[in-house]
Amino acid sequence: MSAVITVKSLSKAYRYARRRGGFFEAFSPEHVIVEAVAGVDFEIGAGERVAIIGPNGAGKSTTLKMLSGILEPSSGEASVLGLTPWKQRKALAYKIGVVFGQRSQLWGELPARESFALLRHIYDQEAAPFAKRLGELTERFALADLLDQPVHRMSLGQRMRCEITASLLHGPNLLFLDEPTIGLDVTAKAAIRDFIREHARDHGQTVLLTSHDTRDIELVCDRVIVVNQGRIVVDQPTDQLRRRFLGRKIITFQSAGQGVSLDLPGVTRRASEAHATILEVDTRLTRVEQVIAAALADGGIEDVTIEDPPMEEVIAEIYASTHAA
Amino acid sequence: MIGSLRLYAAQSAAAIRTSFSDRGNFAIQVGGMLLNDVFFLTLWVLFFAGFRSIGGWGLSDMALLFGLTMSVVGVSGVFFGGYRDMAATLLRGELDALLTQPKGLISRLLVRESIATAWGDLAGAVFVLAVFAKLSWSDLPVLLLGIAAGTTVYVSAAISFASLAFWAAGARSFARDLTDFTLLFSSYPGSIYQGAVKAIAFTILPAGFVVLAPMGMVRHPSGETLGLVAFGAVLHAGIAAALFNLGLARYRRGASPSM
Repeated sequence: MSAVITVKSLSKAYRYARRRGGFFEAFSPEHVIVEAVAGVDFEIGAGERVAIIGPNGAGKSTTLKMLSGILEPSSGEASVLGLTPWKQRKALAYKIGVVFGQRSQLWGELPARESFALLRHIYDQEAAPFAKRLGELTERFALADLLDQPVHRMSLGQRMRCEITASLLHGPNLLFLDEPTIGLDVTAKAAIRDFIREHARDHGQTVLLTSHDTRDIELVCDRVIVVNQGRIVVDQPTDQLRRRFLGRKIITFQSAGQGVSLDLPGVTRRASEAHATILEVDTRLTRVEQVIAAALADGGIEDVTIEDPPMEEVIAEIYASTHAA
Repeated sequence: MIGSLRLYAAQSAAAIRTSFSDRGNFAIQVGGMLLNDVFFLTLWVLFFAGFRSIGGWGLSDMALLFGLTMSVVGVSGVFFGGYRDMAATLLRGELDALLTQPKGLISRLLVRESIATAWGDLAGAVFVLAVFAKLSWSDLPVLLLGIAAGTTVYVSAAISFASLAFWAAGARSFARDLTDFTLLFSSYPGSIYQGAVKAIAFTILPAGFVVLAPMGMVRHPSGETLGLVAFGAVLHAGIAAALFNLGLARYRRGASPSM
């Protein structure tokens, strides 16, 4: 798989003036240097869907801004689609699509259709292929009823569908998404995730997204880069990440009568509902089949669900383990 | 170049359509500005009815000054309306989305808005210049040139002031104040400015190049007056481009207040 993004020792430090107490001290602020990104290295291959996750201030957005050409790094190298983003920003802009969840690239007062038409001029697109692409995206994203509506009158979910459409109209090979589902309701989030995943898969498009929402990562990306305090803590396929940091399963037993009660090593009961017993199983101590066999022997089981713990717990565990280290 | 002009025209047309979209609001804003301009003009008409001249300036001179000022504000507002809130736009971090697109930043920032009240200024300008300024049809080319040069200087000054936002968060209101001061200085007879005030009016606040120099060119067309007007336009456009790009480099290094 050829590398679409190559990052070597990329760093970004911000310098802040920190005000000190007192009248005269206000004229001589103390300068503080904060290392937002501290020498990160990674490669992303063509067609990969990668998430960068981490807490606030971890350096996710700063990394994305450097890779999209907005910010210059303090040191290090990066190549995106063969270009150095901060030196060849305009050339790169034709090849990438960028969506900021909290900022718009559309004209708020204009109907979406007019914003899209302006983007055709901005990206120097021929009318026919542009119209074809817009038609496909309109159909796929069910935008037909929205095209003549001013963007500022749309719901956040509708606007985000238009934002993503806008970022794809010039046919970019690489899509950067910064918190694409922030503030959206569950249905809108699901629609956005499905679209990003399916569009990328169908077009062989590379996706790099940042998010706080672990479901974005689970449902869209096949690889996760976890950053904390500007450094990469983990860089793994999503499935492996779950396995490495879990070794745990969540088993839910539905029963008609009393809940399941098991006394096995590494099995703990979580907050459960009536007729549903939720157990957390440390699979290093007790295998899943042993737990199920014991529960079935107990009797009254109507249904069983086996799940991985939510990504929130995975991330919390990663942070805990890296802090402990 | 043609592609950039076509893009600007398309964006400008969209911004103007947007300013028209709420017709009631548009009519109120344009009408309000027209009333404001008529009121201001009436004061000067009454003033000159009593005093005849001020520092050698008569009503027709004042009308030309006033008409040019309104034209500059009108053209700037209709076609480059983003100048007014450019500092706030920069401070809100809205440059990020533009930086991920391949076209020029200054033009995109200028064309993001068309100000409805500017149509009132334009309508008032046509009325004042046609009725009170004692101009003939032969003055039209040089008048249009003066308006173009004045608009260039005014918008350039606004860009320079807005670029301060790359250095200080307080530039949001300061930039607007400086732009308003430039307009205020442009609205009075040039003969009242002497010494240091005159120097300020032609340098820090380029009010002299916004209206007074173009006005001199309209009244006395010559190579010298044309050269002065062209010099002012090129100088301030250059300063604006240099300051903006200097600030942009700072922004992209992550050293600006909005980063």
